[in-house]
Amino acid sequence: MTSVASIFTFLTKRRGGLLTVIGLIFVLTLFGVIVSDKFGTYSNAVNILEQSTPLAIVSLGQTLVIITGGIDLSIGSMVSLASVLLSGLTAGDPVMMYVAIVTILVLGGLVGIINAGASIYLRVHPLIVTLGTGAILQGITLLYTQTPIGKMPKGFDELAYGRVLGLPLGAVFTIVVFVVTAVFLRKVPLGRYIYATGDDAVGAQLMGLPRRKVLFVAYGFCGMMAAVASIFLVARLGAGQPYTGQNFTLTSITPVVVGGTLLSGGRGGVIGTLMGVYLVSLLNNLLNFLSLSTHYQLIVQGLIVIIAVSVYVENKRKV
Amino acid sequence: MTQSAQSQSQQSPVMDIVRNYGIHLVLAVLIVVTAILSPAFLTANNISNMLLQAAPLGIVVIGQVPVILVRGLDLSVASVMATAAVVATCFSGQDTDALPVFIVAISIGLATGLVNGLLITKRNVSPFLATLATMTLLQGMRFAYTQGAPSGNVPPIYRVLGSQTFFGVPYNLMILVVLAAFFSILLHKTTYGRRVYLTGGNPVMARLVGIHADRITIASYVISGGLAALAGLIYSGFVGIVDNWVGRGFELDSIVAAVMGGVALSGGRGSIVGGLFGAAILVVVFNAVLMIGLPIEFQIIIKGAVIIVAAAFYVRKTI
Repeated sequence: MTSVASIFTFLTKRRGGLLTVIGLIFVLTLFGVIVSDKFGTYSNAVNILEQSTPLAIVSLGQTLVIITGGIDLSIGSMVSLASVLLSGLTAGDPVMMYVAIVTILVLGGLVGIINAGASIYLRVHPLIVTLGTGAILQGITLLYTQTPIGKMPKGFDELAYGRVLGLPLGAVFTIVVFVVTAVFLRKVPLGRYIYATGDDAVGAQLMGLPRRKVLFVAYGFCGMMAAVASIFLVARLGAGQPYTGQNFTLTSITPVVVGGTLLSGGRGGVIGTLMGVYLVSLLNNLLNFLSLSTHYQLIVQGLIVIIAVSVYVENKRKV
Repeated sequence: MTQSAQSQSQQSPVMDIVRNYGIHLVLAVLIVVTAILSPAFLTANNISNMLLQAAPLGIVVIGQVPVILVRGLDLSVASVMATAAVVATCFSGQDTDALPVFIVAISIGLATGLVNGLLITKRNVSPFLATLATMTLLQGMRFAYTQGAPSGNVPPIYRVLGSQTFFGVPYNLMILVVLAAFFSILLHKTTYGRRVYLTGGNPVMARLVGIHADRITIASYVISGGLAALAGLIYSGFVGIVDNWVGRGFELDSIVAAVMGGVALSGGRGSIVGGLFGAAILVVVFNAVLMIGLPIEFQIIIKGAVIIVAAAFYVRKTI
């Protein structure tokens, strides 16, 4: 009996959140299948996976930043800017497309590095720094264009609708980057330093861990992921739009929190985030099937966050 | 702390003056420069217009200040404002319903603040996440209730309070001044106020001297919620037409204003008057951008730059 109890304690204490999320995904799927016979189909599953790709990629970057104990509120504006630059620079030209992709990836990384640099050297909380850079990026985006702009060469939508082994290309890509990042976080020293920095920044620095490098890598990665997400978004929508990323700033935080990564830093992981993304996408899809308007998605999303934060107790209080 | 403050003032008295009166200087310089660049800026009409716009933001800032003083921030204020504005249109639209509108709207605001406060103190949720969740929740409920398109009229008395002037002095500005005086006295002259500063400035000490820090924190969020609801009612009277996004951006603007006014995000330092000066700067900057004839996007870009610079300016040297 005691061993059963200890296993139970282990699961609920260490992995309780993740198991709950997976359990919830299972229950929701079951519920969906009962409610609608179109829900449990292959095409709907593919649909959910396709829709979840940009959110998953953005949330991946956000997870790393949150593990360092920070937050990136510029991510939505970065997605918007990258998406209009991508299609605007490309303008239907297949050669320019590669230039545009490289440009936005570099730009994304650079913005992340600026975010990290400002918070390190100006000693301003990342919340404020990224709030500021987010506003600046959104302003620049709107100066560049106020309407959807440019177009992508033929076949670019293959990225959004293509299949690999029957699975959406984006979903396969998502799973690969998540697994690679998970391995990086657990096995590579720099990845482990990310946890150490987030858990106890002063302690990590006293240990001689490269705190600045950790922050540059985490924020740079986050910015770059915003650019990658915009590639998939543009592939889906056909052109970049100046407000396309707006919602990502906050919706990228929900899966991270649901997946058990604490906003206070140092705890959690990317696999939890991926499960969080699937849970949110599944819920939104299910609400569509119940023909409830998108308005209810907001209520549900608010409730999930409140429930999630009540399950995981933050270990220390922060802004 | 006192020691470092002393050594700082010994090092550079000039810097001390800049630190204490910088915000006033910035406001003065801003007004002079804009007045030179645009003759229309200092006309009675434009000044009256700016004061009209300043009041709703100012009222939200008054609520945001005690929250930031206890090391928090309130992202739900804009959502509360919009909800209050929607409530204002839900009744008959006659003056006879002004009181019920007031009671319902303020109750929603206070309740939101209470939920925020309870999540933050009892569940140890980070203020960012707690207020983000209530923000989303309120937003969803509002959308579901109005089905995306609110209709109906604001009671005429709110129109008067929000947009009319009394010999050139807006009514809403009078409300702002009364509230500012009341809450300044509350923060600086009462036991509650001292407890707010101590709770934010030194939580350990606060606990040791027997302050119920949780109650103080909850009270701050309740004040913020109530004032945001009031600001929403007044703002609905200002704009006249209510949509679901009344007050959008006020959550960030109010935080920016408070930070510019010297209210430290690390808690325990700052004043309502400072925050109101910050709000005045924002309103003048927004107005100046239009008066000088720059594209309106510069409002966002300048706001983003200003918040980072202001936060960096007030960073405590000792951290």
